[in-house]
Amino acid sequence: MNKYLVLFLIILTIYNCESDDICPESTLTTPRLIVTFYDEENPEERKNIESLGVYIVKNNELMLISEINGINTDSIAIPLRDDESVSNFKFCKDFSEDVTVIPSGLPNHVYFDYEINETFISRACGFINNYNLSIALPYDPLDTPGPTNWISELIILNNSVTNENQSHVKILH
Amino acid sequence: MKINPMSRFFTSIILTLTFNSFSASTNDTIEKFGIRAGIDIQKIIKSATDNDYTGLSISGDIRLKESLYIFSELGNEEKIISNYYLNSTVKGSYLKCGVNFKLNNDIRTQNIVYSGFNLGFSQFDQRVNSYTIYNTSSIYWGESIITDAINLTDLKAFWLELVFGLKTEILNNLFLGFELQLKNILKQNNKQGITNLYVPGFNRTYDSSNLGAGFSYSISYLIPVVKK
Repeated sequence: MNKYLVLFLIILTIYNCESDDICPESTLTTPRLIVTFYDEENPEERKNIESLGVYIVKNNELMLISEINGINTDSIAIPLRDDESVSNFKFCKDFSEDVTVIPSGLPNHVYFDYEINETFISRACGFINNYNLSIALPYDPLDTPGPTNWISELIILNNSVTNENQSHVKILH
Repeated sequence: MKINPMSRFFTSIILTLTFNSFSASTNDTIEKFGIRAGIDIQKIIKSATDNDYTGLSISGDIRLKESLYIFSELGNEEKIISNYYLNSTVKGSYLKCGVNFKLNNDIRTQNIVYSGFNLGFSQFDQRVNSYTIYNTSSIYWGESIITDAINLTDLKAFWLELVFGLKTEILNNLFLGFELQLKNILKQNNKQGITNLYVPGFNRTYDSSNLGAGFSYSISYLIPVVKK
């Protein structure tokens, strides 16, 4: 009888394996939008931006993206809004965390309009979103007239936002 | 969740042994031929205690030869599978058919130890009731929770299962049994790229493999046709 009990116990162990009910942190998540910065006088050349800070604009309130708080960089990754197919940002040049004014530095409105596609990933993580960009503007289309500040042009390089491996949007400044 | 199958397992061992000592003194269990009909008690108990589950199954076996039984089971299950990101309901029926081989030959016991294999087929519907988009940057825009259900109908799965079980004659011709099943999905269809999270008769599925496991705790009655 004992050998059968051992077999039962082995099967029970398999029965109890529920590890894939927890969504692991390493799982491919909803991709962020990759934005790269180029020189307006030489549009093929990357140009660093000094002290960049980016805020999301949700219901007229600003919230700073914590990784983009006055960094010098030529590319950033920003999250798009999932519950609406429109996202608004304030890209601020000469940003300083010491200043209590919001937005700090020289703000430029950035607007994206896109289509949301849900994709099933796994039992534990469920669905992620992929996006299909349709409009990218360096001003708020609801403001008349659209004032542009330091961004001269916003160009969509890649409509389909399914991963973070390549640049989706190019900013000339 | 984790402790339940374990405690059920030990309860069944204790019950089996207890009933064994009280059972009739006839020692001819192993010699009985006939048709046995049963129900899965585990499904009934789970239906009563678990709000996320409803299920019922009936089974039957016929002893063809000294050590060979043919087995069949028909059942229906409905189960809600829920975690942080997904809430789904799976509902459907299944049929299992197979053969079991008696492993013990000791005529002084009321136990039948057996092993065998079944082929299972299930037809079911899966409804994704609500889901939260998995986005590790959701602290900024907030989480997107979608409550428009996705209905996936007419799903099918076909699997093979290996079983090990024990049946004890607790009263004349009345058997208490427990059985463990190791399963492997041979073929299934998905819709809209969404995994079949649960398959009636098969039990829950795993993302990483086609393997699965199940447990049944049954009570059955033997209608003796031939007694050797």
